[in-house]
Amino acid sequence: MTLMKPLTFALVVFAGTASAQDVVWAEKTPALGQADLPVGVLSPEALMQLRALGEDLFAATFTPLDGAGRPRSTQAGLPTKTKRPLKNDFARTSGPDAGACGSCHNLPILGGAGDFVTNVFASEGFANHDFETTDGEFSLERGTNHLFGAGLIELLAREMTEDLHRLRDDAISAARDMNAPQTVVLETKGVGFGMITALPDGLLDLSKIEGVDADLVIRPFTQKGVVPSLRQFAVNAMNQHHGMQASERFGTRWTGESDFDEDGYSAEMSAGDISALVAWQAGLPVPTQARDLPQDWIDAATRGKDTFAEMGCVSCHRPALPLRSLAFADPGPFDTAGTLSTHDVETPAIYDLAGLEWAAELPRDDQGRVLVPLWGDLKRHEISDGEVDALGNELFGQGFVDRTQFITAELWGVGSTAPYGHRNDMPALDQVIRAHGGDARAARDAYVNSDQTTQLDIIAFLKSLRIETQ
Amino acid sequence: MNLRHLTCIASLLATPAFADFPFDVPHMIEQASDAGITHTYTGDWEFFVGGGAASFDCNGDRLPDLMLAGGEGPAALYVNRSETAGALAFEQRDFLGGLTNVIGAYPIHLDEDTHIDLAVLRLGKNYLVKGGPDCSFEKANETFEFDTGRLWTTAFSAIWEEDNIRPTLAFGNYVDRKAPGSPFGTCSDNQLLRPTETGYGEVTVLTPGFCSLSMLFTDWDNSGQFDLRITNDRQYYRDGQEQLWKISPDEEPEAYDAGDGWQKLVIWGMGIAEADLNGDGRPEYALTSMGDTMLQSLDDDADEGEPNYTDIAFDLGATAHRPYTGEDIRPSTGWHTQFADVNNDSRPDLFIAKGNVAKMTDFAAFDPDNLLMGDGQGSFMEQGEAAGIARATKGRGAVIEDFNADGRLDLLVVNRDGPASLFRNQGRKTDWGHAPMGNFIAIELANGDVNPRGVGAVISVKTGNVTQTQTIQIGGGHVSGQAGFTHFGLGAADKASIRVKWPDGGWSQAYNVFANNFVVLDRDRSDAQYWYPVPAQ
Repeated sequence: MTLMKPLTFALVVFAGTASAQDVVWAEKTPALGQADLPVGVLSPEALMQLRALGEDLFAATFTPLDGAGRPRSTQAGLPTKTKRPLKNDFARTSGPDAGACGSCHNLPILGGAGDFVTNVFASEGFANHDFETTDGEFSLERGTNHLFGAGLIELLAREMTEDLHRLRDDAISAARDMNAPQTVVLETKGVGFGMITALPDGLLDLSKIEGVDADLVIRPFTQKGVVPSLRQFAVNAMNQHHGMQASERFGTRWTGESDFDEDGYSAEMSAGDISALVAWQAGLPVPTQARDLPQDWIDAATRGKDTFAEMGCVSCHRPALPLRSLAFADPGPFDTAGTLSTHDVETPAIYDLAGLEWAAELPRDDQGRVLVPLWGDLKRHEISDGEVDALGNELFGQGFVDRTQFITAELWGVGSTAPYGHRNDMPALDQVIRAHGGDARAARDAYVNSDQTTQLDIIAFLKSLRIETQ
Repeated sequence: MNLRHLTCIASLLATPAFADFPFDVPHMIEQASDAGITHTYTGDWEFFVGGGAASFDCNGDRLPDLMLAGGEGPAALYVNRSETAGALAFEQRDFLGGLTNVIGAYPIHLDEDTHIDLAVLRLGKNYLVKGGPDCSFEKANETFEFDTGRLWTTAFSAIWEEDNIRPTLAFGNYVDRKAPGSPFGTCSDNQLLRPTETGYGEVTVLTPGFCSLSMLFTDWDNSGQFDLRITNDRQYYRDGQEQLWKISPDEEPEAYDAGDGWQKLVIWGMGIAEADLNGDGRPEYALTSMGDTMLQSLDDDADEGEPNYTDIAFDLGATAHRPYTGEDIRPSTGWHTQFADVNNDSRPDLFIAKGNVAKMTDFAAFDPDNLLMGDGQGSFMEQGEAAGIARATKGRGAVIEDFNADGRLDLLVVNRDGPASLFRNQGRKTDWGHAPMGNFIAIELANGDVNPRGVGAVISVKTGNVTQTQTIQIGGGHVSGQAGFTHFGLGAADKASIRVKWPDGGWSQAYNVFANNFVVLDRDRSDAQYWYPVPAQ
């Protein structure tokens, strides 16, 4: 299989600019456009090649010669024209706000999180797309998350969605067959999402679902938990942050235009480019618990880990969730039109993450399932209450999710990714623990009311959860 | 232009050879016979017109069942047995003992039970038909004290006025065959029936009638008042024209005239469809005819309350005046027309059933149905051949419905003197099979015991900066109507926010829904209820 096009550059004349030669010093990204859409199970070598292109794209500083910038397109995920041409190539608030993915995702290494200075401003990008203030009435200020282990996160989410849909289908069928309402508890991988009642006529009572959307799709990405896949996130982010528009959403099939952002460049990111980005992110190693620590830290972390569980923190920050398969299909099954899905291609690519070096270290349960040590539950929770409301600071919801609900932050890598909180404005773990209210209030109170040594043990444990840099 | 990606784009988005149209074209595969529908609309001169279809759910499974007019032959009932997202399948049932002389039908709720009823239009006695369990039906003219005489009825519309528990009914009639000099200049009057406490009584005559072939209660000026738009067949009237009747609960019906701003229009009017194409809250109207199809928009210079329309069909590429394929360049004959988003790209498309009246030599003999698809610039481009519906049939009535709950709109066309066509929408065709098109949302309203479907309600679906609206109506098309989910294509939007202007004028809160679902919006609930068909095997 050929994944990479020959790295020989032909003379290309770019519309809307003076002619530019593809010489090595040209301000262009060589990796762009090199990946064809992969098909089938990739060999380890092919996956390595594809991921290498993805890493190059993730690290690349995109330029106007690549098609960066979106003078007539807003940051919205749904292709939307600006009311007037954007005044500047960059805008710190409404974007484009970064030259490269790696401009923000760099703590402690490429693909990591970002400091407060890398915060992004999430907005719908429709009517008030060109806001020029960080005021919360226009946007949601969010810190940059790390991406290590993201492939396993998406795989867990897919399996959980499959489980929930199977429960839903069974309930619907049973209600019809028995001509009586059927109530089903929604639980997958030990995580409960409330319950549904299927009525004989096919209607669902969804009033008792918890922490998941009405369509029972687990959306594990973003701090809010509103994006289902790395692929959708990549397409969104490429447009928002760089003005690099993927054809699978901004191309003629949906917009009728080959150059929707009217920057003089068409087909800025191919489906293969997006696949390369997905493959690289999906294959990033999982964070681990550091072992090269002083013995007194190890001892404290051991005690802290136990206390963390005893205090009830693990009711949301689950130590691990079991994963049945490490075969990452791209495109995936739960994306909808505007992002390529499994149904849009004859044969999706399969990235066998089990073949990556770090995967061999992952523990398995007695059923052979990989235990993904994410310290999370992929579920949204209420995170503030009337007394402890620091994390309930946003003015409006996102993706139909209430303003005070957020998906449980996975704690793997937390020792490498300060500062904390969805606004990235809490430099210390102690601060963000104390900021937990709502569903986490009891565990937070247990921490606050414990002695300083106990608190430090927990900090020692959390700071041992690191992204390896070697 | 940057040509770097052409190779992979071409392979990924492999669309058939209709390069000028950039959006998905649905692949419509005819499979009526395989699906168990073997039905023909036939008969002599009286059945040159008509040939309607009604789709509705008559057994509570929320899948659209069908009643097809048969003309001189029997009308037929087809109960939907399609598997979810699978092959289309129908079970034929008897309809009122093989009722003949049926021109068309519209589903409607005439009483407060949960079963859908029907208004059946006939050559002769019309029937109000009461629905019962498991797709059972019975004539109910006596129950509803209903009698419109023995005319030749070819049009129907209905609306709930004020707090009435039953709808106001309008019947459009064609030629009075017994009048001296018939058929020319002998059009029957039309009829308006308002509900009484016990049923329907006195018939209000809407005169003059000009041989109507379609009528539609419509809120043409976004005033909240539904007037009656009628399209008429110039073949038989004298000094006639298109009509708009002012229908007010407190006043006698009155036709708009030149003094009101109404502009005389003389066409072979055969079908009406409406859609708000420019988003100004005032609908545009597609009017089928022999030759040009009209597409009317309220004139920019029209004063408030003045129904002064401009034809924009040519500007929007929607004249459909002659066959778009084949060697026959004589004018077309258009019948049923309907706006619907068949590729789920969020832009309305326009279907027109076409077919020679019988053997009219001045008009095209090969006259395929049209599928004018929204081109993203506010205009339309013909894609009937690319979609697979360009066939040598004589189309009359039709319904566009999602028969197998896969989120894609299918098409049923009743043909004169030939088998009905049933096209399954398979999605976009690629070089390896079929693939999905855009996202969708399908909406059912629950307005309460009276007018449960919310006829007269306006549904607004917002995705990004785009708002689509559809009004729940009974009437229009060509003697064909449907009752079921209202379908919106969402394009690349994965969610939508919906608001409903209920028939009483009250607005709902926003219902936030995820794409590719069927939802029921109950005016007494704050959340959307999701509905699921039998899970696919």
